[in-house]
Amino acid sequence: MIETKLKWHPIAASDDLAPRHVFDAQLLGQEIAAWRADDGFANVWENRCLHRGVRLTIGINDGNELKCQYHGWRYSNRSANCTYIPAHPADAPARTVCNRKYTTREKYGLVWTAIETSGDVPEISLLAGVPSAPLRAMPINSTADLVEEMLSAAVFESAEDNRWSEMSVETDPSGAITFTGSSDKHLVFFLQPLDSERTIIRGVATGIGDDDIAGLRHLNQCLTTLRAAIEARAAQQDRVDPMQPVYTQVEADLATMPDRGEGSVNGIRVRVASKTMTANDVARFEFVGLTGSLPTGQAGAHIDVHLPNGLIRQYSLTNGPAETDSYIIGVKREPNSTGGSECLHDTVREGDILLVSVPRNNFPLRRDAVRSVFVAGGIGITPLLSMAKTLENQRLNYELHYFVRDDDHVAFADKINALTGKITLHKGLSPEDTGKALHRIYNGPQNANHTYICGPGPMLNAAREAASHCGWDDGAVHFEYFKNTNEIDDSSSFEIALARSGQTLQVKSGETVLDVLRANGVSIASSCSQGACGTCKVAVIEGDVDHQDVHLTDSEKRASAYIMTCVSRAKSDRLVLDI
Amino acid sequence: MKLYDFELSGNCYKIRMFLNILGINYDRHPIDFFPGNEHKGPEFLAINPLGQLPVLVDGTFQIRDAQAILSYLAAKYDDGGTWYPTSDPERLGEVNQWMAFGDMITGTASAARLHDGLSYTQIDVKAARAGAHRLFRILDEHLWFAEREGRSWICKGDTPTIADIACFPYIMLALEGGVSLQDYPAIRRWTDRVKRIPGFTVMSGIFSAGAGVEAA
Repeated sequence: MIETKLKWHPIAASDDLAPRHVFDAQLLGQEIAAWRADDGFANVWENRCLHRGVRLTIGINDGNELKCQYHGWRYSNRSANCTYIPAHPADAPARTVCNRKYTTREKYGLVWTAIETSGDVPEISLLAGVPSAPLRAMPINSTADLVEEMLSAAVFESAEDNRWSEMSVETDPSGAITFTGSSDKHLVFFLQPLDSERTIIRGVATGIGDDDIAGLRHLNQCLTTLRAAIEARAAQQDRVDPMQPVYTQVEADLATMPDRGEGSVNGIRVRVASKTMTANDVARFEFVGLTGSLPTGQAGAHIDVHLPNGLIRQYSLTNGPAETDSYIIGVKREPNSTGGSECLHDTVREGDILLVSVPRNNFPLRRDAVRSVFVAGGIGITPLLSMAKTLENQRLNYELHYFVRDDDHVAFADKINALTGKITLHKGLSPEDTGKALHRIYNGPQNANHTYICGPGPMLNAAREAASHCGWDDGAVHFEYFKNTNEIDDSSSFEIALARSGQTLQVKSGETVLDVLRANGVSIASSCSQGACGTCKVAVIEGDVDHQDVHLTDSEKRASAYIMTCVSRAKSDRLVLDI
Repeated sequence: MKLYDFELSGNCYKIRMFLNILGINYDRHPIDFFPGNEHKGPEFLAINPLGQLPVLVDGTFQIRDAQAILSYLAAKYDDGGTWYPTSDPERLGEVNQWMAFGDMITGTASAARLHDGLSYTQIDVKAARAGAHRLFRILDEHLWFAEREGRSWICKGDTPTIADIACFPYIMLALEGGVSLQDYPAIRRWTDRVKRIPGFTVMSGIFSAGAGVEAA
């Protein structure tokens, strides 16, 4: 009766979830790790890391992320998405790597959940609108049925404390056991079946404050006495087999490497919660999910935004690890807008519903560098802001250089001011002075230094050249272009062989590799369609690639191990692709 | 200063941790407790006829028994006098009361761990586990009400005492003897607080808790 997975049960008192603590709970055989983030949100998750199954209750709650103690996988507040895998510091974890989480409510000073959600937390009229205090939870080695039977006959008055005398007992349809007193002193008990032979009584008392230590001690003593009686009887009963919790199998490919395959066919509907100007020509948009939580964007991630005029544009998320309940982007009005930024600035308003893709991360942030150098030009600040906040949360060193025209062009000044790292504004520099400043920034590279650059093409090129000139290794220089300004030459024609599916296809002049793949039923995610974002990257097994994108580094292009299928082509007659 | 030590012993660990908290340098003299059983050999029995670890040698002074060593170190080297409040009779009595409780934890939770982990098959593990649960129920209730009264530590006062150090290791290692802490949320929160004491150190099976909110 009580043990239905659909039903809501309390699994903790609200104040059990202390800051920076991971609470150890169980419900119907299922082990649960519950932790409160610094924003107050109570996360109730299955108690195991997706990677090796280690209990998350021995992990670390850093206020925004939960870190597994074993291999350091990090999971985000609210979404339970994996945000970082130390063994793959250069890669973004696949967005599908997500812990099992349970729906959660906080009511009557208790944290509630259900294994399979249905309906809502029971409404208890005795507790409606009156102050109440949760009692100390009483774990009992007994079946829930026996606890219910004996609790219903319990007495809560004594010679010392008669505030809970002459109570009438009822079992609520929800399973709650209510003791109605003659005055305002009532007691309501909920049962939390941990397993077949372990049950917690969670009581709530009305008419006393949570500072009434004497009252709380008295009721705790009554429950302790009751526990002794229940356990004495339980020991005489036949043993019951433990419950068999159902653990969803983790897909093999989930625990390995990022997926590249699936596109954002099914987007997420979001509402424009706010639209404000954050700098000259830069609008700040905050999107919230229509159905609550959103998948977490890792540092450096972007989303596709489907605009009312039919265009699709990519924007980086500025979210730090603490900001998991909305997506915040910055959109610069482009003087030569082809309809994207213009539409967002002029047409989209607060309250509008838009379709966006799940966050995709082709600009991942390593968290293993001694020093991380962020170089932003103009609106290129957005992904770097997210990165800076991520490192700051983990107390890792970084410096942020922000190249802007003048103070009026500083976007997200509030967020930048809230950072405590080394922030340098470079204002109104000529191209020549910008080059000098970049050389100063990149002078003297050391081991384990990484730089991340985002900004307009010329500035980004200058930064890459400066880093290269100062001796930075190509692999330590990470960048993301807004767009590809190269003129695409699609005149060649060639053959592509798909190694995994065994197909051989022809790419004619005027067609892209991506077009041909899709026309033949091969599903490839793509986003910007101009060789900038890296979403449509495919591994190359054989052949010489004619790189026309701005996503790959020079050494990656020389290696010809990958191709951006939306713009790049073949120099050889044939390419063998790893799909 | 020299500590006769076994890496996997919670009683030796509590001395290592407290020495680190006090900032005292010392030499470790490892004893092959398992599998060598060196603590029951003639050489070590000459040092401690009880055949138990740890033993501390400070100059010419030698002392055995983990709780006794804690009180000696605190009384001698804790300049602030907070870890073992010898000038406050009530608190001193409380500290000694809970240190004895720590000994009972060794006799139960640690015994179950020796059974499960180090092949001490002669131990009645069911009784040991039941004993540990009985103690943990008492301590959890004590700490739950301590939280209500605004206290963080086992004994009264604003600072931790050696009673916290004495009880901590075999509570943290209890699961290795099949004793889960799931029923003791107030104990689990207190273990986070102990882990955040400046100078806290780890041992196999005991991890750090990460930064608290105050330090963040």
